[in-house]
Amino acid sequence: MKVLIADDHPVVRQGLRQMLAVEQDLQVVGEARNGQEVVDLSRKVPWEVAVLDYNMPGKNGLELIKELRQRYPGRAVLILSMYPEDRYAVRALKAGASGYLTKESAPDELVSAIRKVAGGGRYVTPTLGEKLALELEDNRGKPLHETLSDREYQVMWMIASGKTVRQIADELFLSPNTVSTHRTRILRKMNMKSNAELMHYAIAHHLVD
Amino acid sequence: MATRATDAPSALGPAAGEPLQRAIAEAEAPGEVPRAKILIVDDEPKSLYALQELLASLGQELMVAASGEEALKLVLRHDFAVILLDVRMPGMDGFETAKMIRGRERSRRTPIIFLTAQADEMNSMFRGYAVGAVDYLMKPVVPEVLKSKVAVFVELFMATARLRASEDKLRRLAAHLISVREEERTHIAREIHDELGQVLTGLKMEVGWLARRLKEPALLEKTESMSKLIDSSVQTVRKIATGLRPEMLDDMGLIAAVAWQAKEFQKRTGIRCRTKLAPETKLDLEVSTTVFRIFQEILTNVARHARATRVDIELELAEDQLRLEVTDNGVGIAEEDLHGRKSLGLLGMQERALLFGGEVSITGTPGHGTRVAVTIPLRRAGEAGGAAAATVRKANAPS
Repeated sequence: MKVLIADDHPVVRQGLRQMLAVEQDLQVVGEARNGQEVVDLSRKVPWEVAVLDYNMPGKNGLELIKELRQRYPGRAVLILSMYPEDRYAVRALKAGASGYLTKESAPDELVSAIRKVAGGGRYVTPTLGEKLALELEDNRGKPLHETLSDREYQVMWMIASGKTVRQIADELFLSPNTVSTHRTRILRKMNMKSNAELMHYAIAHHLVD
Repeated sequence: MATRATDAPSALGPAAGEPLQRAIAEAEAPGEVPRAKILIVDDEPKSLYALQELLASLGQELMVAASGEEALKLVLRHDFAVILLDVRMPGMDGFETAKMIRGRERSRRTPIIFLTAQADEMNSMFRGYAVGAVDYLMKPVVPEVLKSKVAVFVELFMATARLRASEDKLRRLAAHLISVREEERTHIAREIHDELGQVLTGLKMEVGWLARRLKEPALLEKTESMSKLIDSSVQTVRKIATGLRPEMLDDMGLIAAVAWQAKEFQKRTGIRCRTKLAPETKLDLEVSTTVFRIFQEILTNVARHARATRVDIELELAEDQLRLEVTDNGVGIAEEDLHGRKSLGLLGMQERALLFGGEVSITGTPGHGTRVAVTIPLRRAGEAGGAAAATVRKANAPS
């Protein structure tokens, strides 16, 4: 498979090159340092998959994706970005990218991602997949935490952040009894039995860091 | 509105980047010590001449009018330190003239000294005060009395002008500091994120390459922990860069950045945020930055003082203005805290908005939360962008 790589940082290009060099079926056919070079190079060399940095000098990521997709509809564009998926991934996919990877995950996932998109598939990381699935689920019905009152939500957040009833009571100027009552109601509304379950839910739904 | 426009024509508006050079240039200009203008209104040429002679020694700029009508024309075009007004004139008399002068926005507070020739006219003194006279003098005037009275008003006028100028300079300096700080933050955020972040990424790839060649479990364990360390460094870098200046603001615009900030805030504090935002629109970057920074300050205040469980955020875009309203359900800001010494943050928001001709209004009801409303007038994207770019250029290159 012929791969075009583009990144404005030499260290990253070198890393990508080395990473791909080990793979028998992959061949780096060109390297670009900015958006314009990608456009020029894409005309000159034969390629099947373009691995692009999202933020390069010159053309921005979205424009570049659109342009390549328009000119070469059959070929795949894979985005490699410094930014976490929740910010730009959906936009990039909508613009026509076949996949979105953060640079941190590149060593583990890049090669399989290239193979997947070269075959016409789409590639999203498990994290992004889970997030998209959650969004679908949330769209079908109200997510559980939306059934909580504002005060209950806050108490839930504090429990999920690992605070004790006493700490919560102190911080919110409430009596420990009141906090316990809130907690009972939260667990009932959310159909859960323990703080641990609550924590797990909050992390999965990105309600806490 | 009209006073503001004449008082400080250059203080506001988008030219926030260049003020320092201008302020310095003005302070150094020798012509900066201005003379006050004094208007003398009298229908008798002889009397006009005598008054002029008398006041010449004050060294100020004297202007004369032979009638009320003439005086009004001059008042429209000049700011006078004091007006000497003859009561008895054919046509419009002194009282009528004074009334008209007071009716004009520009001269509403200009001191007027009435001059009268006859003792019985003293009876109408009260009428004079009613239309805004600040003093009365009998003709023939005693030179020393007239001179010292006029001198007091000249001094007052000069002091006010100096105060205004220094207020203006401070405001421009503050604007300059804000824009410099923003530029610096943007620059540092980019440097950290792009340079340091990319190096870490490269490093991570190298470690990955190494790991693939190792077989010994103890060594693989090492590369694994190195890789984790690098990951957490990348996250720290990202956090620092975003804290300095969220890249969303530059890439995706104000609306997306506000939505993101609200989500982050909810995640960080457990205070629920509801947002009602206008569809994403391209706005002038400086206006976007201003609104975003004000928004951050509002949220900081909510987290620190409000003890709220909920924040409602509404951002509306109309043709000519942007309106951001943030309401919390906390304890409500007290009146004295709005003006207290601790309210510098609030003052900062107001000053930021004022730079773009906007305003911030804060209302609190004890026990029922606080509402902060920000309005900023908008220009069309094309003009605004051009002006902003010009400002940045000027700020960088001393012209």
